[in-house]
Amino acid sequence: MSGSTARSMVRSPFVLIVGACLTWFITAFLVWPNVNVLMATFFPDGSFSGRAAEKLFSSQRAMKALGNSFLLAVALSITVNLVGIFVVLVTHYFRIRGSRILFLGYASTFIYGGIVLAAGYKFIYGDKGIVTSLLVKVFPALDPGWFSGFFAVLVVMTFATTTNHMLFVANALKGVDYQTIEAARNLGASTWTILRRIVLPMLKPTLFAVTILSFLTGLGALSAPQVLGGRDFQTITPMILTFTNSPTSRDLAALLAVILGVATILMLAVMSRLEKGGTYFSVSKVSSALEKQDITSPVANVVVHAVAYLLFAVYTLPVVLIVLYSFADGAAIQTGQLSLGSLTVDNYVRVLTQQSGLRPFVVSVVYSALAALIAVGGLLFVARLLQKYRNWVATVFEYLLHIPWILPSALLALGLIISYDHPNPLVGGAVLTGTTVILLIAFVTVKIPFTLRMLKASFASVNSSLEEAASIMGAKTLYVFRRILLPLVLPAAAAIAALNFNSLLDDYDTAIFLAHPLVQPLGLVIKANTDGAEGVEGVANTFVYTVLLMVITGVTMYLVYGRSRQKGPGSKRLPAVPPAAVPPPAVSSVSGEDSKLPAAPVR
Amino acid sequence: MIRLDNIEVSFGDFTAIPHLDLHVQPGEFFTLLGPSGCGKTTALRTLAGFIQPSAGTVHVDGKDVTRLPSDKRQVGMVFQNYALFPSMSVWENIAFGLRVRKEKPADSDRLVRDIARRVELSDDQLSKNVAELSGGQQQRVAVARALVLRPKILLLDEPLSNLDAKLRHQLRQQLKDLQSQFGITTVYVTHDQDEALAMSDRVAVFNKGVVEQVGTPQEIYDHSATEFVCNFIGDSSALTPEFVAELNRLSGAGLSTDASSYLRVEKASLTPAADGGTAVGLPGTVVSRTYHGLHSRYLVRSHGADIRLLVREDGGPQPEPGSPATVYLQPEHILQYHHAARNAVEREDQAVPLP
Repeated sequence: MSGSTARSMVRSPFVLIVGACLTWFITAFLVWPNVNVLMATFFPDGSFSGRAAEKLFSSQRAMKALGNSFLLAVALSITVNLVGIFVVLVTHYFRIRGSRILFLGYASTFIYGGIVLAAGYKFIYGDKGIVTSLLVKVFPALDPGWFSGFFAVLVVMTFATTTNHMLFVANALKGVDYQTIEAARNLGASTWTILRRIVLPMLKPTLFAVTILSFLTGLGALSAPQVLGGRDFQTITPMILTFTNSPTSRDLAALLAVILGVATILMLAVMSRLEKGGTYFSVSKVSSALEKQDITSPVANVVVHAVAYLLFAVYTLPVVLIVLYSFADGAAIQTGQLSLGSLTVDNYVRVLTQQSGLRPFVVSVVYSALAALIAVGGLLFVARLLQKYRNWVATVFEYLLHIPWILPSALLALGLIISYDHPNPLVGGAVLTGTTVILLIAFVTVKIPFTLRMLKASFASVNSSLEEAASIMGAKTLYVFRRILLPLVLPAAAAIAALNFNSLLDDYDTAIFLAHPLVQPLGLVIKANTDGAEGVEGVANTFVYTVLLMVITGVTMYLVYGRSRQKGPGSKRLPAVPPAAVPPPAVSSVSGEDSKLPAAPVR
Repeated sequence: MIRLDNIEVSFGDFTAIPHLDLHVQPGEFFTLLGPSGCGKTTALRTLAGFIQPSAGTVHVDGKDVTRLPSDKRQVGMVFQNYALFPSMSVWENIAFGLRVRKEKPADSDRLVRDIARRVELSDDQLSKNVAELSGGQQQRVAVARALVLRPKILLLDEPLSNLDAKLRHQLRQQLKDLQSQFGITTVYVTHDQDEALAMSDRVAVFNKGVVEQVGTPQEIYDHSATEFVCNFIGDSSALTPEFVAELNRLSGAGLSTDASSYLRVEKASLTPAADGGTAVGLPGTVVSRTYHGLHSRYLVRSHGADIRLLVREDGGPQPEPGSPATVYLQPEHILQYHHAARNAVEREDQAVPLP
């Protein structure tokens, strides 16, 4: 292939311009901030110092938070797998009555997650929550604060992160060759034996991958411990946030962020190691589609049905209550008593017409839209070049662009704060900390790995003969890009931008570090409302925000996935998003780790 | 050994097999042959117990197994893609059924090694992962896995269809050898007529869920019972009524001119047989010639019929397109079918013969 050597890249002005911009961006926003964090931790005064470590080990709070984070990570890996595998089997493997409806219920976490989900659970099960108020009336002995601490955080995060299973494990299950199941049955294996000996072993690589993702989600958790953890259960990321806010303990924040980053990198390294360990998929060329299995034992069948519907209730209750109470008046929200008469659209009118209600929404929409467009627009060129040139220069750039994928967002945010709180030549001598620009930069940065992978995949799916045909007829690089490639990739690019927009809309984890005090996006306002700062009106506003977010996310997901699924196989258009790299839903995790999921190399 | 009586299979509104009777003799290599979607795999899966027929009965070795699950029928199956369990080693794959039956580990190991030796898998290969084996070795693992449970019959569902042509030829022979070595009653499904003719003791030709003919490979080739069988098996030229009438005039044979008439390509010739025989020659014109190395394919037009025939490239005369030629054939080689009946003229009694 012509033009694939490093030297040939230098000859193209197009490559040189894109390369220069890219080098500046990577240096200024991906490499330098993180190097700065390391320096702040270990070389605070220019020479090596272990003081941060000493401070950390002597701080009981910090050590407890570290322990809690690892406890949460381990516990979450177990609970998410239990619930996640069950949910996938019930919707995709066993013949269960009403599995379509069950699926919709379990999929409700596709359209709301993160801070929104944590807030929703708090408003319903928290000490002043709707369900708690009702329960206290029935059982006066019940502690109103029953839903808090480790238990509450674990429950909420478990249900919020089964989306990984719904995406990746369900997909892997579809890849299991049904003939192997028939063969096992022909050899006399029971339903349980087939599941245990044939099906689950084939899912092992995917299960490893989602387990590690769950572990990382637990490790980096921010919003769920903040909202529901209470005094007794705090974890690393909220601690980083606390330490960041006072200049004297910034080195401590930096060290914690470094620990988090190292743990994340280690786990991801383990994951890619396991990935290489071997795929268990199809040794055959033709395979037949999976058919649903009957549970032969009547007792087991009843038990599985019961558990399935119980979980369905757990998944859907918050959604149903949030939608209902978004129409309720203040009194109803406070007492939990809802009557038909107390349903109005006043809350919606207030949020959509009053400046204070609408502002956070507008701020989030503007930030998310800008970040989504900048990320996709910029990376269109980069992805194209990385896909075309396969040499060491391209490989180095590609690895560097994956930095936001391997580092927790808290570390990236902290890096940006300490790198640009004084005039810096890298950005023309400007101070960025405390301005509105820094959050936009972080938003763009966080979305780079996902956007890059998806765009590269869609460029790769373009038939290379088209490009060769155009250049044989004399078209120049830019012309080919503009007239041939861009129109083909555009649907995918639009879909990726929409997914980015979705996931940034309710962002909390990045904004809490970087947002301008007067330009607060939605995530921060929702979090403030869970603290009871704005009273009942704040709670009502949050319900309305949540419903609006669910509608926006639902519509986007439908536009991106739903329609492309309806298109018949005869359709010649490129799929909006390459199916091999199904991205996770916009707001799929409580901790903000969602920026990693799409990039997760899960087959 | 196997009896399918009055079998009917439907999926919802769609009837895949309206009515099927089949009898397979002990030790026989029996093939279900037909184009894709003709119901042959459905018939096999009904026999295996993966599909419940909506009517009719299945007997294996005199026992009614219609309502029994697949593992209680004493049938072994080799799947189209072998369906080897990718997460297990070769040994574990073969031992799977034994372990499910809770055989003693020592017995399992002995049986596995025994069957592995008989299908020529080495001890070294037993410890490998199935993905490390070649296509042929995978096939032998699949056969061993099915046979280690000592089934009464072996079912093979297009086991050669996803291999390249050369390997397919090689494995076809291996499979046939294994079958005769074990002497096991085998039902084989394929859409490849070449495979069916070369391997089978008897063949059932399927079309749209109906068995058109059951017979030895030679019977179904030389005496195709229906027009479908005639067209599906081998290569033949359709004859025009004028051609048949001319043939009648020259030879005195009383062939019908209303029926569809066919002539196999290898039954026509451009040179008269050495001993004269009963062949008659009809004049025609060479339309085209395609060179294949071993032979050339000719298209000769005679009395409105395009007769295709093969001429060996043995150095003999090779007429060029446009030149006149004489087509020699024997009237008794003509295959004739009436449209309404869809069956061979005068041979209706031969359709679906029951042994």
